[in-house]
Amino acid sequence: MSLEQLSKFVEDGESDSARELAETLLVNGANPIEMIEMLTRTMAHVGELFAKLDIFLPEIMMAGDALGGVVKVLGPYLEKAGGRQCKGKVVIGVVKGDLHEIGKNIVKLLLETSGFVVKDLGYDVDPLTFVKEAETMGADFIASSSLMTTTMPRQKEIIEILKDKGIRDKFKVVIGGAPTSQLWADKIGADLYCYDAKSAPERMVSILETSH
Amino acid sequence: MATAYRLWEILERARTGRFMDEDDFLPKRFTPTLKKLIKQYEIKYDPKNPCPSDDAMADRIWQAAWDLFRDVGYYNTDSHRIIEVTDAEIKEALYMANDQYWVGGGKDARLWKHRTVEDKTPPFCIMSPDITVDEKYHQSMCMAYLKEPLLDGLCGPILEETFGHLIESGGPSEISGCIQHIYNQKMAARLLGRPGTFMVAVGTAEHDSGQIAVSDDNWGVQKTDSRLVGSLTEFKTADTLLNRALHYAQYGCFTGNLTGAIYGGWCGGSEGTAVTTVAYSLIGLMIHGAIYNQHFPFHLNYCSNTTRELLWAISMAGQAMARNSKLLYTSNGFANAGPMTEMLFRETAVHAMVSTVSGWHLWEMASARNKYRNRATPLEARLGIEAGHAVANQGMSRAEVNEIANRLLATYEDHAVDAPMGSEYQECYDVAKAVPTQEHLDMYRRIKDEIAALGVKFPY
Repeated sequence: MSLEQLSKFVEDGESDSARELAETLLVNGANPIEMIEMLTRTMAHVGELFAKLDIFLPEIMMAGDALGGVVKVLGPYLEKAGGRQCKGKVVIGVVKGDLHEIGKNIVKLLLETSGFVVKDLGYDVDPLTFVKEAETMGADFIASSSLMTTTMPRQKEIIEILKDKGIRDKFKVVIGGAPTSQLWADKIGADLYCYDAKSAPERMVSILETSH
Repeated sequence: MATAYRLWEILERARTGRFMDEDDFLPKRFTPTLKKLIKQYEIKYDPKNPCPSDDAMADRIWQAAWDLFRDVGYYNTDSHRIIEVTDAEIKEALYMANDQYWVGGGKDARLWKHRTVEDKTPPFCIMSPDITVDEKYHQSMCMAYLKEPLLDGLCGPILEETFGHLIESGGPSEISGCIQHIYNQKMAARLLGRPGTFMVAVGTAEHDSGQIAVSDDNWGVQKTDSRLVGSLTEFKTADTLLNRALHYAQYGCFTGNLTGAIYGGWCGGSEGTAVTTVAYSLIGLMIHGAIYNQHFPFHLNYCSNTTRELLWAISMAGQAMARNSKLLYTSNGFANAGPMTEMLFRETAVHAMVSTVSGWHLWEMASARNKYRNRATPLEARLGIEAGHAVANQGMSRAEVNEIANRLLATYEDHAVDAPMGSEYQECYDVAKAVPTQEHLDMYRRIKDEIAALGVKFPY
């Protein structure tokens, strides 16, 4: 059994097998940093397959669950080895009045599997809750999704609250969702418009690097 | 309401049904059941045939959809309970469902009847841009659609602003926007001399309060009109949606069930999309008391349904319902390309022809991925509906439409990913007079001639 086999288990969403193999590999002295790096590449590959719809949402979600299980096993080993690099902290949710969360869930999964720490606020989230949770978490990003045109204004309200509290510069505001656009992001002063889930992690890393 | 006699028993189940964590409902209950049924009933997507002629598979899809609804149920996200039904209750609801309704009022009333596969009766045609428009174009666009001769019903464009205020769901501006929406739509119908036209309204309402605010037989949504109850993908609801079902039933207008199974999402590929779409019709009938179902299955990445994997699902779902029920259901087109592009005209025609010959009624046409404000016009809907009438009138078979669809798909399917976004309404229409520009008309005529050359005999 090898790292390649572990990668295959994760890709196929075989959670129990992946977790058991990860435990065996670690007991036998495998390098946890190498393991997490490989599995990050695995999930990037799964993300590519999903982006082309060579696989569908249930499959990528199962792969994400399998990776989650392995990361739990890896946790103590990674800590000893200096920890997994956190690419950024994100609070994410669907805005108030909107109950559609499929897009948000896909972005959340891709962020987590790319090395972001994500707090999921769910759906129908008040703008002030986004802000308070971001402050509590010490987040780098506030990410909000809206599927309906009449709930899009709630994304603007998040930015208005940040301005009113004098903390606009503390967070990068990311927006997404079917009716949103770069035009809307520009209009409300968002830092990033996510036009798809796949590119979100890379673009968020980039925006954070640019600002530092 | 089709199943009003069971309304309170169903609503009770939304409170007292089986408990399940919402996080588990789709991955642990819905998707595994759907996958099992697709395998059990040997349902298989065939990319070569976007409009298949497979009666046996249509019947298997119907049975799989029945089992899916019965075995999975419908999840209420507010109570975390599953509404479940029995075989006997499904049979009862299907027996009690009417196969026809008179909708609209006075001289503009229309008879809307169940269609069969390859039915020679033209489809009932609802026109809608399915998109938001600037406040200043709203009434003009309503009038432009009402000028369409083959329109049987209108679902007007959606407002984002009301008297300069951004509409916020659940807030006062939404109530105002909803009233403005129905006033514009009704005024346009009166000015056009079609005051009793069947209306589906109001799309501006995202919250139940917006819908309830416009129930008025004098100035608002009348009892001869219709409103929609949506679902949360997949197989989920919430109290704000159930509130609508109850209100529409008690008010007495026609209820429609609005669903868009997502290809690539929890229902997987074409097979799951077809089965889920059919199952939603049973949900509409039994949970929402709908007299018709408004379906827009769409591609997760493109937000469209004019590529072959979606056309197959639409065609098979339509055939399944046409052969096994007497329900009414509309096929809502979602195109990749935007207005005043040849691609949009072709996409609309293909969607309409495949749907019509598969037993559907038509709801045309969301364009430009249903994403961009002002990007829809009545002219693409006109071509689609004329094509639907044509293939019905001439008794075209599924095989014949399949061949035409393949030829037209060859012209656009590689461009689904980079489809042109086209122009906005005010660039394609004379806004004051609500008529298309000559440039737009010329393009419509050109593509109509191209499709006619493939053997489609347009009525005029």
